[in-house]
Amino acid sequence: MNSFSKFSEIREGYRSKKFSPVEVTQFYLDQIKKSKHNAYLDICEDRVLDQAKKVEKIIFSDKDAFEKYPLLGMPMGIKDLLNIDGVKTTCASKMLENYVAPYTATCVERLEKAGALSLGKLNLDEFAMGSSNENSAFGPVEHPTHPERVPGGSSGGSATAVGADLCLTSLGTDTGGSIRLPASFCGVVGYKPTYGRVSRFGVVAFASSLDQVGPFAKTVEDAALVAEVMSGKDIYDSTSSSESVGAWSSEISKPMDWKSLKVGVPKEYFVEGVEDSVRKSVEESLRWFESKGATLVDISLPHTEYAVSTYYVVAVSEASSNLARFDGVRFGTRPDGANESATLDEFYEKVRSQFGAEVKRRIILGTYALSSGYYDAYYSKACKVRRLIRNDFDEAFKKVDVIAGPVAPTVAFKRGAMLENPLQMYLMDIFTIPASLSGLPALSVPCGTQEDGLSIGLHLIGSPFADEKVLKVAHHFQKERYHG
Amino acid sequence: MGNLDSSWEMVIGLEVHAQLSTASKAFSTAKARLSDGESVAEERVNFNTNMICAGHPGTLPSLNKKAVELAIRAGLSTGCDIRLKSVFARKNYFYPDLPKGYQISQFDMPLCENGAINIELSDGKTKRIEIERIHMEEDAGKNVHMSGFSLVNLNRAGVPLIEIVSRPDMRSAEEAGAYLRELHSIVTAIDVCDGNMQEGNFRCDANVSVRKKGDSQLGTRTEIKNVNSFRFVEKAIEYEAARQVALIESGGKVVQETRLYDSAKNVTQPMRSKEEAHDYRYFPDPDLLPLVIEQSQIDAIQASLPELPREKKIRYQNEFGLSSYDAMVLTQSQDLSQIFESTLAILTVKKGAKTLSNFLSGEISRLMNEKDQKLSESKINSTHLARLVEVVSENVISSTGAKKVLSVIWETGQSVDEVIESEGLKQVSDMSALEPLVEEVLANNPNQVQQFRDGKEKLLGFFVGQVMKVSQGKANPERLKELLISKLKK
Amino acid sequence: MAKVDVQLTEKVASLARLALSKEEKSSFTEQLGQILGYIEKISEVNVDGVEPMINPHDQILSLREDVAAEPFLNEEGNPKILDSAPDQLYDGFKVPQIL
Repeated sequence: MNSFSKFSEIREGYRSKKFSPVEVTQFYLDQIKKSKHNAYLDICEDRVLDQAKKVEKIIFSDKDAFEKYPLLGMPMGIKDLLNIDGVKTTCASKMLENYVAPYTATCVERLEKAGALSLGKLNLDEFAMGSSNENSAFGPVEHPTHPERVPGGSSGGSATAVGADLCLTSLGTDTGGSIRLPASFCGVVGYKPTYGRVSRFGVVAFASSLDQVGPFAKTVEDAALVAEVMSGKDIYDSTSSSESVGAWSSEISKPMDWKSLKVGVPKEYFVEGVEDSVRKSVEESLRWFESKGATLVDISLPHTEYAVSTYYVVAVSEASSNLARFDGVRFGTRPDGANESATLDEFYEKVRSQFGAEVKRRIILGTYALSSGYYDAYYSKACKVRRLIRNDFDEAFKKVDVIAGPVAPTVAFKRGAMLENPLQMYLMDIFTIPASLSGLPALSVPCGTQEDGLSIGLHLIGSPFADEKVLKVAHHFQKERYHG
Repeated sequence: MGNLDSSWEMVIGLEVHAQLSTASKAFSTAKARLSDGESVAEERVNFNTNMICAGHPGTLPSLNKKAVELAIRAGLSTGCDIRLKSVFARKNYFYPDLPKGYQISQFDMPLCENGAINIELSDGKTKRIEIERIHMEEDAGKNVHMSGFSLVNLNRAGVPLIEIVSRPDMRSAEEAGAYLRELHSIVTAIDVCDGNMQEGNFRCDANVSVRKKGDSQLGTRTEIKNVNSFRFVEKAIEYEAARQVALIESGGKVVQETRLYDSAKNVTQPMRSKEEAHDYRYFPDPDLLPLVIEQSQIDAIQASLPELPREKKIRYQNEFGLSSYDAMVLTQSQDLSQIFESTLAILTVKKGAKTLSNFLSGEISRLMNEKDQKLSESKINSTHLARLVEVVSENVISSTGAKKVLSVIWETGQSVDEVIESEGLKQVSDMSALEPLVEEVLANNPNQVQQFRDGKEKLLGFFVGQVMKVSQGKANPERLKELLISKLKK
Repeated sequence: MAKVDVQLTEKVASLARLALSKEEKSSFTEQLGQILGYIEKISEVNVDGVEPMINPHDQILSLREDVAAEPFLNEEGNPKILDSAPDQLYDGFKVPQIL
C-alpha cells in the first residue's frame, strides 16, 4: 500500500474493495512505528483496530454507509490536547504524564460517529504554548522532510503527521497561529475555523476566547469535510455558535467565479523582516489570482503592529487562570515529596514545578497582567485594542472578500535557532495573531517551495462565519494552480 | 453582653449566601439537591460530582436557566434593579475545595443592584435596610480536616448561590437579626431558597465595626463568617462590637480580619490567617458570555411573584386585626401562613382569626421549637385547628386544655373531640356544677374568706387554685372567678 | 509600568503558586522585562470610547434547561472522577493538611 493524498482515494478503495479499513489502519500504524519524527505521543492501537473492524462491518452491512458516515474509515491523528475517554491526554506535560481522560471531546465524538479512525495522540508544545514544538516534555517533533528543522507549533505533531504520511488528516488547535504556522512550515493545509464554529468542550484550554480546533490535511477538500462534520452548536460549550454549518465540502467544489473575487492585500503584511522566498511565493500567488480574473485591492489594517502585544496580554491572562486547575489535588502527577509538604502552598508549588519554562513564563506574565494595580494598564487596555484590531478587519471586509498574505515571516527554521529569546519566537506569529484575536476563519495553503524543498504557506483570511468562502478560494487555488 | 456604651455605635453589614432551589448545579448537570429534597452534602462522598464539577481539563460551564430566574425573583422581591446585561467573572485563588482554581462569580456587573427591605423592630418602628447587590455564583466543595491531612468532597461544588450584600445600615444586633429574618422569609416565600440554615443553604457573614457616635468615618471592620442561626448572629455581633470597643478604649487597634463565632463560649476568634489579603484578579469569564435579559422576561417573573411576607403581614393586621407580633410570626413562616389561611377558609367562628393566630404564634411555635420540627412535619391540619378554635370559643375547654390538645394532636393526629374526651379536658363551666364546688371551698376556708372581705383581694387567686384542685383542673377559670367574686362579695 | 525586578517576579510567581529556582528567577526577570517592554506598545493606542472585546463575536449567553443528569459513575458504580485521583481516602481527594 502507498500513502494517500486525499480521502476520496481511500473511500474509492473501500468501495471497490481494493483494500479494507483494517488494512489502511495497519498501514498507518506501521508508518507511525517506523517514523523517527516523534509526532505521536500515544498510539491507540487496540482501540483503533477495534474501530476499523466496526467500520468494516458498517461498509459490509449498510449500502448507504458512505452517505451516512461522511468520514467512514478516515485515518486521523488527534493533538494530545483533546480528550478521548479512556485514553491519555498529556498536553505534552509532565503534569499530565499519566492522566487518562474520563470523557471525549465533542468534536472528536462527532468525527468518530462519522466513521473516523483515531490512530493516536499527537505531540505538541506543552499546553499549546509555543511556535516550534520544541517545548514538549516528551521531546521535540521533527519536520516531516527536513529532520533538523522544526515543524512549527504548537500543533507540530499534527502537521508533521500529515506531512509525513502518518495519518491522512489530523486535528490541531489554533490560538495565535498554532495550526496555520506548522501547516505553512510543513507544506500541508491547516485550517482554523471562525471562533465558535467548533466546540471547545473536551479541549484543554489555553486561551478561552481564542482557542479553536481545526483540521490538517493535504487537500483543502479534506480539511473542509472534517471541519464541516465537527462544526456546529454544542450545549456544553457556551461560546459555540448557533450559526448554521453549510455543506461546505460539496459547496466548495462548485465552479469559482474568479472575476467577482476581491482579494485584499494589507500593506502591513508586506514589510521588512519577511524572508525573500516567502515574499516571492506569496506575491506570485497574488498575481496568479489576478491572472484568473480576481481583483487585488490594497488595504490597510493599521493596528496590526499592536497585535502581538495585545495577544501576549489577553492570551496569557486567560491561560494563567485556565492552568490554575493543575494543582495535583484531583488529577495529575504528584512529584516525589509533594505529599509530605508541610503546608498546602508548598504542596502546590511542588506540583506546579512540573510545568515547563515557557508555560511558567506565560503563567507569570498573565498573573501579572491581571493583578491588582496592573489590570487597567494591561488586561483592560489590551481588550480594547483587540476591538480596534477587529474593527480594522470589519472595515476591510466592506471592500474585499478575502485577505491574503504570508503565514509566517520565514520558512521552517532550524531546531534551537529561536530558543535564546522568547520574544523572537513570539514574533513568528505576527501575521496569524490578528485573525485569531478577531475570531476570523483563516487557513494556510501551500503556495511555493524554496530550492531546498522547504515550503511556504499562503494565508487566507475571511470575514466572520464566511468559512465556506475562504475554503472555496483555497480549494480552487490548490486545485487549479497545482493539480491542473 | 448588652448594649454598647451610648457614646459608641456599631455599624453592621451582612452578606448572605443563599442556595438556589434548582434541580441541577449552576454550570453542570450534576444534581443540586437529592430527590427527597435533602442537601447534596448527604450524598456519598464525591458521588454527586462529574468532570465539570471537578474542573477536569477541557471542561466548560453552561449556565442553568432556572438559576437565573430564581436570582431575578430574589432581586425583584427585594426591590432591586435588574441589569439587562450582567457579566460573570472569575475570582482566582488556590484552595483544595475550589476545583478550577477560580470561582465563577460576578464582579462589577452583577445581576441585581440597589434594593432595600423594611424591617420591623421591637419598639414598633420600621427601618429601611439597603441592599447593595445580589449576584450569582457557584458554591465550593467541602474540606474535611483529619490529623495530618485533609479530604476534599466536591458534591457541593458548583451548586448555584446568590450572594446578597447589604449596605452597612444596621446599628444593632437586633436590627441585624430582624434583617436576616425578613430576608429569610422573603427568599423562602418566593421559593428561591429553602432557607435551611442547618444544612448551610442560607449562610450569613457579618461585617462589624464600631465608631464614636457622630463620627462619619467607618471604623476598621472584621468579618464573622458562616454563622448558622439568627440567634447566634445576634450574639456574635454583640460580642464582637463590645470586643472592638474594649480594644480601642484600651489603646489598641482593630485588625481587619476574619473571625469565627464559637457558640459554646459565646466569643469570636480570629480564623487562622490565610496569608495577606487575596488578590483575586477578577476578569470577565471568557467561557461565559454576557447574560442578556429581556425586559419582558423580567416583567413576566414580576407578575408571577406571590404576595411578599411584609405585604401579607400588613394585610393580616388590617383584615384580621392581628397584633403586629402575631402577624410577623405567621408571615415569616410559609407553614404557618398557609395553615392560617386554609383554616380561616373553613372556620365559622366570628373573630376566630385572633384565637387561631394565638395558637399559631403561641403554643404551636413553642412546639415547633421544642421538637425542632416544622409544622408540616406534625399531624396537625386545618380541620384540627378550626375545631379547636370552635371548642375554645364555646368554652368547652380552657386555654390550658387547648395547649394540651395541640401537643397530643401534633404526634397522634386524632380529632380534637377525641383528645378532649380521652384527656378529660372538658371544662366545668355550668354554673350549677360550679356552685357546689365554690361553696365547698369557701366553707372550708373561713379565715381566708374573712381576710378577703376585709380587703385582701389578692386571695382570689388562692380560692381559684382551691376550686381548681377540687375540680381536677376542669373548672372554667373565667366563670369560676365570676362566681367566686359574686359569692365573696356578699 | 512597575520596575521588573526579582522581587516582582517572586511576588507574582507566589500568587501563581510557582516556585522558581534562583536561575529561573533571574532569567525570568530578564525575559519578563523584555516582553513587558515590548507589550508597552499598547499604551500608545488611543482607546477612548472603545468597548473592551472579550468574545470576538459579542455573542450572548444561551441557557441550559434545569435538568439533572445521572451520576457520573464508572463501570464498577463508583465516581468516575476518583479514577484520576492522585491520592484518595474514603472516596475523598486527599491533600496535606490545610492549616
